[in-house]
Amino acid sequence: MSIINTVRATVLSIANKNNFGYITPNDFNLYAKQAQLDIFEDYFYQYNSWIVKQNARVSGSGYADIVKGLVEVLDYFSLTKSLIISNGYDFTLPEDYYLINKINYYPNLRSSGSVTGGTGKVLISTGSLFITDGVKPTDLLSNITNSGEVLNVVAVTNETTLTLSGNINVGDVFKIVSNSGITEVERVSQNKIFYLNSTPLTSPSTSFPAYVLEDSDITVYPIGQIASGTVFSQYIRYPKDPNWTYEDIILGGEPSFDQTSADYQDFELPISDQTNLINKILQYAGLSIRDKDVVAFGKMEEQEANQQEG
Amino acid sequence: MAYLTDYQYYENGGLNFENENWGSYQYVSLNDIVNNFMVMYVGNDKLINNVERYNVLFHAKRAIQELNYDSLKEIKILELNVCDSLRYILPQDYVNWVRVSMYRGGTLFPLTENIQTNWSSAYLQDNNCRILFDEKGNTLKPEDSTLDADRIKGSKKSIYLNEGSVYDGQEGYCYNDSWYFEYSIGAKFGLNTETANANPTFKINKKSGVINFSSSMADELVVLEYVSDGMEGGDDSEISVNKLFEEFVYSYMKFVILQSKYGIQEYIINRARKEKSALLRNAKLRLSNIHPGRLLMNLRGQNKWIK
Repeated sequence: MSIINTVRATVLSIANKNNFGYITPNDFNLYAKQAQLDIFEDYFYQYNSWIVKQNARVSGSGYADIVKGLVEVLDYFSLTKSLIISNGYDFTLPEDYYLINKINYYPNLRSSGSVTGGTGKVLISTGSLFITDGVKPTDLLSNITNSGEVLNVVAVTNETTLTLSGNINVGDVFKIVSNSGITEVERVSQNKIFYLNSTPLTSPSTSFPAYVLEDSDITVYPIGQIASGTVFSQYIRYPKDPNWTYEDIILGGEPSFDQTSADYQDFELPISDQTNLINKILQYAGLSIRDKDVVAFGKMEEQEANQQEG
Repeated sequence: MAYLTDYQYYENGGLNFENENWGSYQYVSLNDIVNNFMVMYVGNDKLINNVERYNVLFHAKRAIQELNYDSLKEIKILELNVCDSLRYILPQDYVNWVRVSMYRGGTLFPLTENIQTNWSSAYLQDNNCRILFDEKGNTLKPEDSTLDADRIKGSKKSIYLNEGSVYDGQEGYCYNDSWYFEYSIGAKFGLNTETANANPTFKINKKSGVINFSSSMADELVVLEYVSDGMEGGDDSEISVNKLFEEFVYSYMKFVILQSKYGIQEYIINRARKEKSALLRNAKLRLSNIHPGRLLMNLRGQNKWIK
């Protein structure tokens, strides 16, 4: 269900009550993006705050389990992608990551190759020997060409044909890893990695690998022993930018909401955040149309909501 | 590690090294220990929070090392031939010895450690006993000290034991398996029972990483029983510990992590310390395998006459 149109209509209704000003679709989209990011980031602080309360036994279980609800929202933004070696021994992180939660190493590389045929979810690779290589359903396929997209092997039809959980294109390069023996690659700070590498008891191994982050790349230790396509990242991505799309404006009329537009994008936050979104956007819009009342109203509503949530 | 099928256990699933999994169920791997600890003992609602895995890994390895030194009884055994140099190079993973034996004629002869040293390093000296140096200021050293050379050549005295001989208990020279004695002049002193043994003796040079034997050990087979630290040459995937000690390892890790964390109340640390000590005792008792059947066998010898 789309909430962006409801949010926009409510914002316009409140802001334009006394003909203070009109918010254009472009302005609204900018404020909407800002508001969504603001609320999205606040989820992490709320999560931490509620963990503290939970440990102090101030939170309950069942319907009173606030943490559970927060985690559900955050998990909506969770993605898993395989990482590709970009230069030397460095793996490039996904472009849309907000927070890297886990990096996992899948040590059992079963097969690799490129797609030579098939359509949709059927993969044909004439150079491969899937059965001989031990490829099994539930194994993971990393699509190197498509930014490390991860698909599941659903069925192994014969030595050269697989059925996957998603689509793959002819020409795509892939790697298949076993779903067993996975080990987490631990993040360590730049100032620790030297010491860790210097002592036999703590030096990273393929059983207990580690990585350091630099720019948008990670270096996985032990260096040179971890193959491209065997490292997977589970991360929280940024929410997609909301876009209230419309049909051509009739002269003197209102733009008409068009949900079928190719670049349409609804808010990705749950409907329960609709009020928060309206309050936030009102604050930005109020600043834009120089109406103190609108800003104050937005702020007051937000404060009330925060008080209620504890 | 996942549970194995019978086929995987007995024949390694048809792969090479069919004995790969034999007896593996006694052990829990380091990987499992670290994973279990991270899942069960570390978390927002646990005593331990915000601890890095390398911390946990380090303490897990330290626990396994400590256990290997005494409690675990994981004895490794290596047989090597001792050549004319009378030297046995210690194994790469050697930490301490348990027993050194000579294998001759199908029998193992346990050897005793020579409490007197039988090796030494030496500096070269001139006629005025001044130490000689090279152009870099380092002392010049001979290949063997006089003590070493005498031992290797067999010209170093040792005690001869043979009840049927008049030379029993006397000091003599063993050279090429034959004994030579000096004329006995003056008073004889009592036998030093600490070193009295008909078998060859040995002394361990820890720093040089060798066992030095007395001269009669040339061309003999030596069987060294020793303990390691369980680190399996740095291969983390091979490190494991007996399941009887699994709970102790967790409690040890919990204790040392809590002990080194800031702001943990002393009573919590003490609780963890007591738990760790109790579990170690418990595990040692379990591993000692005191069965009624074994006690019975021991007690059967209670009326035996000791000559």
